[in-house]
Amino acid sequence: MRLKLLSCEIFFREFCASVARSPHTIDVEFLPKGLHDIGTEPMHERLQAALDRVDEKAYDAILLGYGLCNNGIVGLRARLKPLIVPRAHDCITLFMGSAERYMDYFQNHPGVYFKTTGWVERGDADGELSQLALGKKLGLNQSYEELVEKYGEDNARYLWEQIGELAKHYRQFTYIEMGIERDQIYEQRTREEAAARGWKFEKVTGDIGLIERFVNGVWDEKEFLVVPPGHRIAPTYGGDIVAAEQAD
Amino acid sequence: MSIFDELQQAIIDGKAPVAKEVTERALGEGVRPAELFPNAIVPAMNEVGRRMRDCEFFIPEVLIAARAARAATDILRPLLVGDEEVRSAGTVVCGTVKGDLHDIGKNIVAMMLESAGFQIVDLGVDVPPEKVVAAVREHGANVVAMSALLTTTMVNMKAVIDALAAAGLRDQVKVMVGGAPVTESWAQSIGADGYGKDASAAVETARSLVAAA
Repeated sequence: MRLKLLSCEIFFREFCASVARSPHTIDVEFLPKGLHDIGTEPMHERLQAALDRVDEKAYDAILLGYGLCNNGIVGLRARLKPLIVPRAHDCITLFMGSAERYMDYFQNHPGVYFKTTGWVERGDADGELSQLALGKKLGLNQSYEELVEKYGEDNARYLWEQIGELAKHYRQFTYIEMGIERDQIYEQRTREEAAARGWKFEKVTGDIGLIERFVNGVWDEKEFLVVPPGHRIAPTYGGDIVAAEQAD
Repeated sequence: MSIFDELQQAIIDGKAPVAKEVTERALGEGVRPAELFPNAIVPAMNEVGRRMRDCEFFIPEVLIAARAARAATDILRPLLVGDEEVRSAGTVVCGTVKGDLHDIGKNIVAMMLESAGFQIVDLGVDVPPEKVVAAVREHGANVVAMSALLTTTMVNMKAVIDALAAAGLRDQVKVMVGGAPVTESWAQSIGADGYGKDASAAVETARSLVAAA
């Protein structure tokens, strides 16, 4: 098959490693991670625009390298060719290798912030998208000095307690090692950040199997949704996470 | 400017010390505590809600306004105990569902509800359904308001509704839900009674749920 993969850059190294060994011919396009920070509607619009730019006649199917991502992929339409989507709430499912394993870990580890190669080297949005980030638009992500300048010392102290530390309830970094890292630098950086924040550090072994099955064309219905042409992605909020519905 | 307008302005401007001072001055001038709610605090927070909807106010402005309102209500509440004329708008048990640690939205809703005259029992974040059930029982709540910011945790809203039903409390309490991934149709699908698109809509929803009860 000839496939087009449209993916979040957070999977850059994992997809590059897997695409290299895929039996299929795959063209890859990565989109910025910062799309996640600009709100559901704008994220959807930019993803649909990227899909609409694909010359679909050249491909047998389009792979969408995203999870549900806070409903950012809801409503995306398959036009001429099927759109293949992993059944995942977010990228951590793909790093963990299954939705069940992720949910099991998630439910037993509240307050965990995950790190992977992509999250270490591409986790912070910059440029245009950082200006559009929802947190910025809502008035979050301000330094203490900015708060003092805008709202005075007394209110700034209060606001800093309320919103200054967005990650105030998080207490652990979990580094997911995927087996494609060339050295320990990503794990090391995560350990350093954990130490700097006084958080716990844990390393878990990821499972690249789901990503490999995705690019190898092994699309079991339990793991992947195939959105037929003329249909769009809908959230189910159940175990299957996403479904296809007739587009208008 | 009347003293009511002064208090209203102090709240909208997010000036807690001024709100406190004006409230004390009003009481000193013989204004009854109960009068300050409908004439200053509630209209001020309605205006804050409008500005938030119209994107004139963002989270920091809303937080400091709610803080200023609290500076006034902290003085007034103890004086209202036993005042037959003042009836609480209702008791709301609120929290962020199990597994979810996001609290800014929930805190804003709680403060807006409080300044609209509701008694708030805030259970915090990562709240298991049993804790909601116990709080509803203990406080005789009229409304349960649950927040979730993640698609992975919003399913736990249904767990709260199921737990209330299992405890035989579902008929006594209205359930409303909100948070970034939550939609009206999701609220309906899990059997919630109401949905708040934003904090000021949440106040309207709570009012209408209590009125309909």
